[in-house]
Amino acid sequence: MSAPLLSVRDLKTHFTVKQPGLFSDDRIVRAVDGISFDIEPGEVLSLVGESGCGKSTVGRTLTRLEEATSGVAEFEGQDILQMPPAAFRPLRRDIQMIFQDPFASLNPRLTIARTLGEPLFIHKLAKSREEARRKIGETLELVGMDPAVMSRYPHEFSGGQRQRIGIARVMIVEPKLVIADEAVSALDVSIQAQVLNLIKRLQRKSGIAMLFISHDLGVVRHISDRVAVMFKGQIVEMGDKHQIFEAPKHAYTQELLSAIPRVASHREAV
Amino acid sequence: MPLLEVDNLEIAIAMRGQLLPVVRGISFSVDEGETLGIVGESGCGKSLTSLAIMGLLDGTPVRITGGDIRFEGQDLRQLNRRERRAIMGSRMAMIFQEPMTSLNPVYRIGDQIVENLRQHQKISQKAARARAIELLELVRIPEPQQRVDSYPHQMSGGQRQRVMIAMALSCDPKLLIADEPTTALDVTVQKEVLDLMADLQERMGTAIVLISHDLGVIAETCDKVAVMYRGKIAEAAPTDDLFARLAHPYTRGLLNSIPVVDRDVEWLEAIPGRVPGIDEDIEGCAFHPRCPRAQDICRRNEPKQHRIGNEHTSHCHFAEEAAP
Amino acid sequence: MTAVVQQVQDIFAGRRLASIGLSWLILILIVAIAAPLIAPFDPYEIDPIARLSPPGWPHLFGTDHFGRDTFSRAIYGARMTVLIGSGSVIVALLTGGLIGMLSAYFTRAGNVLMRGVDVLMAFPALLLALVLITLLERSVVNTIIVIGIVYATTTARILYGMTLKLKREVFVDAAICSGAGHGSILFRHILPNLLSPLLVQASFIFAFAQLQAAALDFLGLGLPAEVPSWGNMLAEERIYITRAPWLLLFPGALIILSVFSMNLVGDAMRDSIDPRFKDDIAGV
Repeated sequence: MSAPLLSVRDLKTHFTVKQPGLFSDDRIVRAVDGISFDIEPGEVLSLVGESGCGKSTVGRTLTRLEEATSGVAEFEGQDILQMPPAAFRPLRRDIQMIFQDPFASLNPRLTIARTLGEPLFIHKLAKSREEARRKIGETLELVGMDPAVMSRYPHEFSGGQRQRIGIARVMIVEPKLVIADEAVSALDVSIQAQVLNLIKRLQRKSGIAMLFISHDLGVVRHISDRVAVMFKGQIVEMGDKHQIFEAPKHAYTQELLSAIPRVASHREAV
Repeated sequence: MPLLEVDNLEIAIAMRGQLLPVVRGISFSVDEGETLGIVGESGCGKSLTSLAIMGLLDGTPVRITGGDIRFEGQDLRQLNRRERRAIMGSRMAMIFQEPMTSLNPVYRIGDQIVENLRQHQKISQKAARARAIELLELVRIPEPQQRVDSYPHQMSGGQRQRVMIAMALSCDPKLLIADEPTTALDVTVQKEVLDLMADLQERMGTAIVLISHDLGVIAETCDKVAVMYRGKIAEAAPTDDLFARLAHPYTRGLLNSIPVVDRDVEWLEAIPGRVPGIDEDIEGCAFHPRCPRAQDICRRNEPKQHRIGNEHTSHCHFAEEAAP
Repeated sequence: MTAVVQQVQDIFAGRRLASIGLSWLILILIVAIAAPLIAPFDPYEIDPIARLSPPGWPHLFGTDHFGRDTFSRAIYGARMTVLIGSGSVIVALLTGGLIGMLSAYFTRAGNVLMRGVDVLMAFPALLLALVLITLLERSVVNTIIVIGIVYATTTARILYGMTLKLKREVFVDAAICSGAGHGSILFRHILPNLLSPLLVQASFIFAFAQLQAAALDFLGLGLPAEVPSWGNMLAEERIYITRAPWLLLFPGALIILSVFSMNLVGDAMRDSIDPRFKDDIAGV
């Protein structure tokens, strides 16, 4: 087996929460409390769990939006948690993030072309404006949008379209690892299906590895190769998708699976 | 006589001097003790329908432009403010998606329940408090004696939603309207809250109108379903009938869009296109731009209601064929 | 350009009072620019024979105790109004805005900086202006600097709060993940989102700068005495209040009308901006 693309060992991210009152001690929230996992190149690993389990913090720590408390995360052999911010910046091209809220993740004051052009210029992936525009157009087509939209502003688009633009921003730099944090949770069911199909298709085509963070087990089953179930800052069960969904071992995984409301019981005839 | 009867209800929103229709003539009824689910995506008009029934549109740019809402035979639109308030919170109650915003953060939860009780019933402070504790126990809040003096922020999201349910049920309402009551909750907590609602309904005989975007939630809890799309009921049927014989392409599309947990699906059959904005005009069937089986007639004529079964209706030109 | 016109229309549509205020301000601006063309007399010309003459012809607003034409001085006063107002706005927004933004973005250094701002804010605005002005000579530029610094403190406070909020926006996280550096995040992602609240802030500063300038003039600490400003006119002629009340009536009314108009315009703009920032801008 080849070396993993990302190897996380005993990662901890704790937050200090200031307590009101003069004499009360600060409280420490152990959002992520010692988790380890590997992601192979081209693989989709899902982190699934309920709100507050720390799954989003994992993604934010790996993109250095939060400071890790301890632990190691080796990306292609380099520890990305300890290196100085300046050294990490070139690596941001390889590790990209898709955010949950398509209404908040695009700067309302920038045109789509400027939003998509930004990473191109930062990472020097386009030598001229013309080349940048060509790439932006191609990437917009890739996510199923008309290249002509690049001169418009985010408020002119629906949630689903904005999320496509968010995906374009990630794909345009041809990353090696994409961290998707609840990437389809804010979308209506019919739009969610489109975007989910799109993410899956792009992942298959490009072979990008993905850390897919979600609370929705149906979505997770649809997209992942392997699944890690998180509870209170720790991974309680990790395994192949079929094992997790068809033969869950941990009681919490079983509880999660049984809690999902299903239409299946009514659907036998369909 | 049905408990609640909505007849050809039309709601419009005032925007830039125009009245844009949001709900375009919907009719449904709920019998005593029955659960009706209204399902649809954002902007379909399901939430405005519930607010209209509760009379909560005053002071908003949204207004009812046509139709009747009858509760226990009484036309709610004819009532004045005082008569309305006598019904709301006692014979008819509502719970919302985000319990934190519907509970007042500066009052203890017990006091809020007591206030609601004393507004609608002649009851002493002491008796009301005892009843509040009883209600908290009913919605399975642990240690109700102590928790009655908690503030909303001291409780978890699931517990707050239970407090809301306790408050809604405090005066034994005949009808409970629940607008996305579990959308903000985790699945495990959602299950507890839905189970609780079903259990209470069985015991108290309350009719429920459950509004949700989640077909799974609707399928598991409701006796009958109305599927809304762009301000109209696309398809309505008893739950079992609906899933046994899908008679509208939108319902089918919605169902196929859901990634299921119980089996592998390589590609989801997504509905193409996007939900139309309220200011867009669509001729013919509102769903035709996204419909895989749209024909010329769909682009020209708005479909009439087709009766497929006893209580099964569909607004599709091909309703009979659509069913398998 | 049409976008700007459209935005102005959106803000003032249905707001009668604010529209009247805006019209008044536009009138002041035109008068200020075209002062030499409008003013019938030289504002500095002394006519000892026509001292303290009442309003009439040819002295529409009468004359002061030097025999200078009050109407012409009031017209040139509009120039001072516009100059002091816009000068103070520029000084306040540049210094205060930068301090506020940088303090919020670089939290550690910012904490120290903002404490300094807090100390300055502890002084009443006029007192602070008085302390600063005694260190400097009386001149137009110095008046602008002093008033600018006074309102830089409130501007810094407000921008500090708004930048803290914007810093936590998801699109800022997204920019970081795209590899954007500090400069790009501050000036490309955060600043453009602050422009409309900054504009509102500017309109309030413009209004309050008038009051400050008038107060300083009145106390004899503002503009040099011979400069025709509405505040100076009040200060110079105040002893004639019983003999020639019009000398105070006209400049006084002009100050009140202008400040009132600016506040109306500021309120209208505040009401129409991004609801996210409404709490931050409570006036100066």
